[in-house]
Amino acid sequence: MEWITEILNATWDFIVLFLNENIPLIVGSVKAVVIAVGIMSVVPALVWLERRLMGRFQVRLGPNRVGPLGFGQPMADTVKLLFKESIIQSSADKFLFHLAPAVVVITAIVGFAVIPFGEPFEVFGQSIEMWGANVNSGILFVFAISGMGIYGMVLAGLASNNKYSLMGGLRSSAQMISYELTLGLSALSIILLTGSLNLVDMVKAQETLPFILIQPLAFLLFFIAGIAETNRAPFDLPEAEQELVAGFHTEYTGMKFAMFFMGEYINMVTMSALVTLLFLGGWNAYGLPLWPIVAFALKVIFLLCVFIWLRSTFPRIRYDRLMTFGWKVLLPLCLLNLLVTGTLKVIWFP
Amino acid sequence: MLEIATVFDFAQDTVILAVGVTAVLASLGVVLCSSPIYCALYLIGHMICLALLFLLYNAEFLAVVQIIVYAGAVMILFLFIIALLGGKKEVQENSLHRSLALAFVFTLLGELYLSATVGPTQQVHGEVPPELFGTAKAIGLELFSKHLVAFELASGLLLVAAVGVICLAKFSFAPLRRRVR
Repeated sequence: MEWITEILNATWDFIVLFLNENIPLIVGSVKAVVIAVGIMSVVPALVWLERRLMGRFQVRLGPNRVGPLGFGQPMADTVKLLFKESIIQSSADKFLFHLAPAVVVITAIVGFAVIPFGEPFEVFGQSIEMWGANVNSGILFVFAISGMGIYGMVLAGLASNNKYSLMGGLRSSAQMISYELTLGLSALSIILLTGSLNLVDMVKAQETLPFILIQPLAFLLFFIAGIAETNRAPFDLPEAEQELVAGFHTEYTGMKFAMFFMGEYINMVTMSALVTLLFLGGWNAYGLPLWPIVAFALKVIFLLCVFIWLRSTFPRIRYDRLMTFGWKVLLPLCLLNLLVTGTLKVIWFP
Repeated sequence: MLEIATVFDFAQDTVILAVGVTAVLASLGVVLCSSPIYCALYLIGHMICLALLFLLYNAEFLAVVQIIVYAGAVMILFLFIIALLGGKKEVQENSLHRSLALAFVFTLLGELYLSATVGPTQQVHGEVPPELFGTAKAIGLELFSKHLVAFELASGLLLVAAVGVICLAKFSFAPLRRRVR
């Protein structure tokens, strides 16, 4: 029996030594859990906000019966969705049908991992940074992961064996490829200004002046392309209710249906955070007495409200107009903006 | 008593090996699978494994670009075309084709054996400072100084290819007139 306790003791010593020397590992794991849980619990609150605000915009009340201010409504909805029967039609490809919503949610959560939302602070002599990971090419990472999110929609369209789903999947892939170009190119002018792909460096470069004042056109283009990337109205062609029933998630029920919405709302938060970091100065409060994280959160919530506002204001645009708008208006404007930015930078800061 | 550094090295070697084996398995899946959708999915998995390998060797920028360009853009077009044509399973009946494919596979395996025996893989020669290794700056400096001509020629080639595709795809008949507005 003695050798067992000996082995256990040695293992315990090793674990203690390992953890003592690798505190960043523990901190990183905790941060990962906090960010993942936090971003997922933002979704019901956002659904509530959207339904209440949409109600106000359309001169009606919105959900106000369950709980104070209708705040119990998203919880009731979640419970309903969890207990609903999951129906899969017999002609669907079962594996891909299950895989598609998972891809959407996972890519949405992973994309948020590199978003910084505050300045580092000290706890127990340990510097805790307010971001999941400080990747050197952070902005490229976000674009790469959001690009992978398209697969969820395309696979849902392919696996459902339904013409409306297929059309929705096709539309979403075409739309997102087109608008990703605009998104990347308008971010490129900010990368030119800061000379870095790192999101933290970009925020530090805006300590005196947010980039929206220097690059208003790039901000506009980025925001429009961001709405199109998250499939929000007026660019929600992949799920156009009047023509495609519900697009790529026509055949989905219950929680799998809800996962597509989770992905969409998390992408909305990520996109708002990205706009805040690139153009609105991140967590810089510009003289206002606010904690960095509060300043950041307020900016993000404001942008989310703008997302909802746009949805209840504009009608959906036609599909061919969407493509023409992306390729013939936004893309040339982006290239022009990039050219001017590059030229001015070379002239003023050689 | 085990050293922590050796444990980390061992763990990293294991991860690299696992990712490499997954990449090989995924590429086998591309060849062996009969449904085009799953073939494309295996190819995406292979691309992601390659990106992970780049990441494990500290080539962060290359890894991200690999995912954006290949897994993000190229493979979406593959899936787009599969969705347009209808992803039906192919029926294998011709044994001649199968034997041809088998011969091809064995040739490739032979080549792999040859390249493995000829010599070990070598370190990259160059004077990249260690703190710049794998970043966008290092790659940009290399591309726009040492390899500028080749880089510009390659971009010209891609432009020619794009223009050529548009010329080929342009319909010879007049497009349908639609009422505008």
